[in-house]
Amino acid sequence: MLKKLMSMAEAVDLVKDNQLLALGGNALHRTPAAFAHHLGKANRKGLKICGAAPGYASDVLCAAGSVDTIYFGFFGFENEYGLAAGMRKGCQSGKIRAVEGS
Amino acid sequence: MPVGGMFGSDLLEYNPDFYSIMKSPFNGEEVVCVRSLQPDWAIVHVQEADIYGNARILGSKFQDILLSRAAKKTIITTEKIVDTEVMRKDPGLTAIPHFLVAAVVEAPGGAKPGICFNGSFAPEDNKADDAGMKAYLKAVKEDTVQEYLAKVTEGRV
Repeated sequence: MLKKLMSMAEAVDLVKDNQLLALGGNALHRTPAAFAHHLGKANRKGLKICGAAPGYASDVLCAAGSVDTIYFGFFGFENEYGLAAGMRKGCQSGKIRAVEGS
Repeated sequence: MPVGGMFGSDLLEYNPDFYSIMKSPFNGEEVVCVRSLQPDWAIVHVQEADIYGNARILGSKFQDILLSRAAKKTIITTEKIVDTEVMRKDPGLTAIPHFLVAAVVEAPGGAKPGICFNGSFAPEDNKADDAGMKAYLKAVKEDTVQEYLAKVTEGRV
């Protein structure tokens, strides 16, 4: 087995412009938030997101302006935090294309 | 790829780029086919992983096992690194095996301000960080997301 332990910066560098990402977790549960915070700072463009119920981490990438397409069933935070704010803003401004399949 | 069901859904009509009805080559029955997506990366936060990428998920796994199988490669972030001996003692608990994984990053609290199940069912252990969520929503509303990201990655939110 190969050792794959690395820093957050090294792992973020693996993700390139225009790639399709599937972030784990659901809504506010166990999404890779810290990874998304660092990737959101890295100024990637044209990322695509897919998932059944993308949540916080995926929304951070939308809000950071890194995403141009989302494939999803439900995209939100649930409870008092409502719909995913970054996704919603991106779709309303026409910067993100939404492909809903629920 | 073929899927069971979907007949009666308006999605077939509204999204012809993704759904198509074909005849089964075996018995001629109609089958709905869905365009498949292959993610370049699955990115999954887990409670325990070893340095090789063997990963355990505590509590609900959602679609994460499927994502790791569908993607070209998986990036794991983990609450803590555990010794491989722990994995060997009960291999059935390994949700994502090492050979699917390209990177392992130790990131305690890596799901915050969201929730990461820690084995406790107490309501207070299964709540989002309210101050953190409000700070994020405010940043989106005020178009200060990069400032928020700078703060949160330095632990200042």
